[in-house]
Amino acid sequence: MVRRSFTAVIEKNATFSAPFETEPYETGWAEEARWFVRVLELDGQLTLTPQLSPDGLFWCDDEKVPMVVRDKGLYTLSLRDFGNWLRLRGEFARTNSSAKMMIYLALKE
Amino acid sequence: MSMDRRLFSAGMMAAASASGGQAPRRANAPTPTPVPTGPLPYLAGNPELARFNPLKRILFHDDFDNGINGWAELQANHNGNLDDLRPVLKDMRPPQLSSCTFFDLGTHGSFNGNYALKLATRPKPFHTAVGVKRFTYSKPCKVQMEMWFTYKAEQTFEGDGNWDGNVSPSELNFGDFTISNDVSEGEAGPRYQCALRYLNTDLEGKLVQKWMYKTSLHATTKMERQGVQAQTDDYHVLKTSDWADVPGGHQPLCFNEIATKVNWHYLRWVFDIQTRRNVELQVNELTMDLRNIPVPIYEQGYRSLNHLLNLLVDVRTHKSVRNFLFIDSVLVSVDG
Repeated sequence: MVRRSFTAVIEKNATFSAPFETEPYETGWAEEARWFVRVLELDGQLTLTPQLSPDGLFWCDDEKVPMVVRDKGLYTLSLRDFGNWLRLRGEFARTNSSAKMMIYLALKE
Repeated sequence: MSMDRRLFSAGMMAAASASGGQAPRRANAPTPTPVPTGPLPYLAGNPELARFNPLKRILFHDDFDNGINGWAELQANHNGNLDDLRPVLKDMRPPQLSSCTFFDLGTHGSFNGNYALKLATRPKPFHTAVGVKRFTYSKPCKVQMEMWFTYKAEQTFEGDGNWDGNVSPSELNFGDFTISNDVSEGEAGPRYQCALRYLNTDLEGKLVQKWMYKTSLHATTKMERQGVQAQTDDYHVLKTSDWADVPGGHQPLCFNEIATKVNWHYLRWVFDIQTRRNVELQVNELTMDLRNIPVPIYEQGYRSLNHLLNLLVDVRTHKSVRNFLFIDSVLVSVDG
């Protein structure tokens, strides 16, 4: 059987202007995960940190270096050994910042 | 999984034989084992299917241990610009494959195997998560959707000194879930939607546990672009109050006390494309006759929807608590 894969659109043209976390997404069936973030508009600098959870309720940062977004464009970050839930945590370098984004989570067995 | 498929294929051949199909036989070929008469005898040989009660032709059997099976997020219409999405439909959330894992007991697993389809709302009042399976129909006939499902509110930790050790306050955090269709007979024919909602709590937060049907249709993208104003709390209807009780539709289900114990329920819903009506809804022990309830029809015609047949499931929270609908498996069959 071919390997199963699934791409979840976690955010659609969503604009953030304060620290945020994306909605929890279950990934226990997958071996590989890759975040794709398409930044459509940006005012300021945004750091995106992948987070992991055993239960979808309590979260910690992944050990990987976060993505630092300084301009519009497509950014990506891959993960393995991530347990059952994933989300992204976003934080701006300064107040009065904002970012409009498409956020995808591409999963593969 | 490969074993399941082998049994299914053999079963379909047995069904064809039982319905009178004559395969050519070679000389001296062994006499085939007679196929038992009665409805769909192949079900007895397949526990995966025997938990269902299909009509004579199975269109699909989706076990979510095998993947997402085409149950996609409901996507609103647009012309390439996602800023134009209708507010009520812009965030219906991607479906998930869930092992039903919880903070206290770990992995529950699904009814059969490990994974269930999970729809999850945001923790925002009246946010709705919707999964849709899109296909078309060949001829007007009865369509039956069966599924094994359960529903939960996300665990909260505020504590409640009045907890009696039996009924969990989390049951009051679950709003409603709905099964529905979207049928269009094409440019010459009407488009209509049947929708059946299990209302667990009313908008005041009281436990009501009853089945309802919708009495109006939500504005379409076409209607909104023509100036119709649409509310954003309920994507099914024009006004949020446009729901009526299904006669005899009060039914406490098995939430099972706390937010992390999962008990699977059986649901069977029949509608008729020929009469443009619901037929009946069975959920566990309760069967509701739906033939006399009205089904709203759009007044406008819709192009590019010839013989559209969409099935949808959704879950809606009434509070700032995530609500979940889990579906172990779905089987859809037709009588024509």
